[in-house]
Amino acid sequence: MTCHDARASLSAFLDEALAPDERREVEAHLEGCAECRRELERLRQTVALLHRVEPARAPVGFVDRVAAAARPRPWYRRAAAAVFLPLSVKLPVEATALAMVALLAVYVFERTPALQQAAREEAPRQEQPKAQLADKLGRPEPSARRFARPAPSPTPRGEDRRDALMSRDAHAPVPPPDVSVPAPPAPAAAPPPVAATPPAAKTEALSESKVGSVASPEAENRQKAAEQAARSLATPPAPRLAAKRAQPTADVIARVAVKDRGAAERDLTQLIARVGGSETQRREEADSTIVEALIPQARYAEFSESLARIGPWQVETERPDLPAQVRVILRLQ
Amino acid sequence: MREAEAGDAPRFLDRLRAGEAAAFEELVTMYQHRVFGVALRMLGNAAEAQDAAQEAFLRAHRGLAGFRGDAKLSTWLYAITSRLCLNRLASAERRLVRHGEETLLRLADEGRRPDGALERSELEAALHRAIAELPEERRIVVVLRDLEGLSYEEIAKVLDLELGTVRSRLHRGRADLKDKLERFLP
Repeated sequence: MTCHDARASLSAFLDEALAPDERREVEAHLEGCAECRRELERLRQTVALLHRVEPARAPVGFVDRVAAAARPRPWYRRAAAAVFLPLSVKLPVEATALAMVALLAVYVFERTPALQQAAREEAPRQEQPKAQLADKLGRPEPSARRFARPAPSPTPRGEDRRDALMSRDAHAPVPPPDVSVPAPPAPAAAPPPVAATPPAAKTEALSESKVGSVASPEAENRQKAAEQAARSLATPPAPRLAAKRAQPTADVIARVAVKDRGAAERDLTQLIARVGGSETQRREEADSTIVEALIPQARYAEFSESLARIGPWQVETERPDLPAQVRVILRLQ
Repeated sequence: MREAEAGDAPRFLDRLRAGEAAAFEELVTMYQHRVFGVALRMLGNAAEAQDAAQEAFLRAHRGLAGFRGDAKLSTWLYAITSRLCLNRLASAERRLVRHGEETLLRLADEGRRPDGALERSELEAALHRAIAELPEERRIVVVLRDLEGLSYEEIAKVLDLELGTVRSRLHRGRADLKDKLERFLP
């Protein structure tokens, strides 16, 4: 037996855990090897040191704590734990889940043209009563507007009004034509009840009728507006009025997806000129260009056909009864 | 063995398996120091050892119904405790914590080194440190053999190892300790 082999067995030798023949071999080696005897002695002393280590004692009260932890909780405590207790955990988790579902819904809607299409198909059906309402409330008949066309110099107030409309449209986070709700597009966005602020209602009504028909005399507009304000004061049908106000002044609002905005703008200018229309306004924004134009109804079909060649476009709003001069707002993006 | 294995009486096992609370309390009372001792030597921190020991007993409580009695209760409890401690030591979180602790321990030791009156406590500290510095798989064998007094066969059962592996790990562990404790040997 070599020293190496013997030393590997010394620990077991100390513990008398060797088989008898193994033990005899180690003993024989130890007799002739002082080094290994010395090694065995060091090992024995080390184990003796280890035996001097005080046995550890569990802390006082340990048994009671373990027994308490092991005791089954009464059924109502367990039920409460399952249903209510982790409220501090549950609430944030639920809130996060809700927000994520909402984001997902918006994302899916934005990513799925079919859904947007469906939402738009809903819109005309609901527009019918709104149009009737608008007529009742003194909106100029489309026939009256037919003569009103070229809007040569829209009054500044009318201009502002359209700007506001366009920017509201541009900044709307979710496409305004609601998926399922037939309610006014943005009652929360324009909630100030007209009844409460007659002057505002007056201005709005005034500018609106002006945009629609510049030909009608100013005085008449004022009178209509006053009547309207009076009516809204008498009965405050706030949602209906809000619905009316939120209606776009344009006959068609559409979004055109283009690759090259510059080229698309040039093509659009040519197209408008070709169909005999006129561009009334153009605004550059960070991610889109908004072009407003008047297109003769007779050539509107041709216009929309050619527009598709500039880029795939999606109608956001389209009045069912198009006037002679179709007011179109296009967003190129 | 430090105590007679009174806990293995068949009657006691029946009470335990039946879920009798008093029997479980007796079991904890009987084995608390041994289970805590293994946890303390393995984890090196009293608070963590207490937590681990409690968890070991709770696991035993859950598993009592399935305890067949073909091993001794003590062997079974040591097995639960050893596995739990080794798992804790293996977790990455624990590794970080331990690193910090070792640094603290070293700093504290250096602060109070050469003091004749502290000779005994110095030996104890050196012993604890030497055990704590052993690789985990050697440490558990040394703890079970030299501090808890288990036989080689019992250790093989507790750790689910071959007898030869127990033997060689114990030998290497003791040899490591011999080198670390050289200056305390006569």
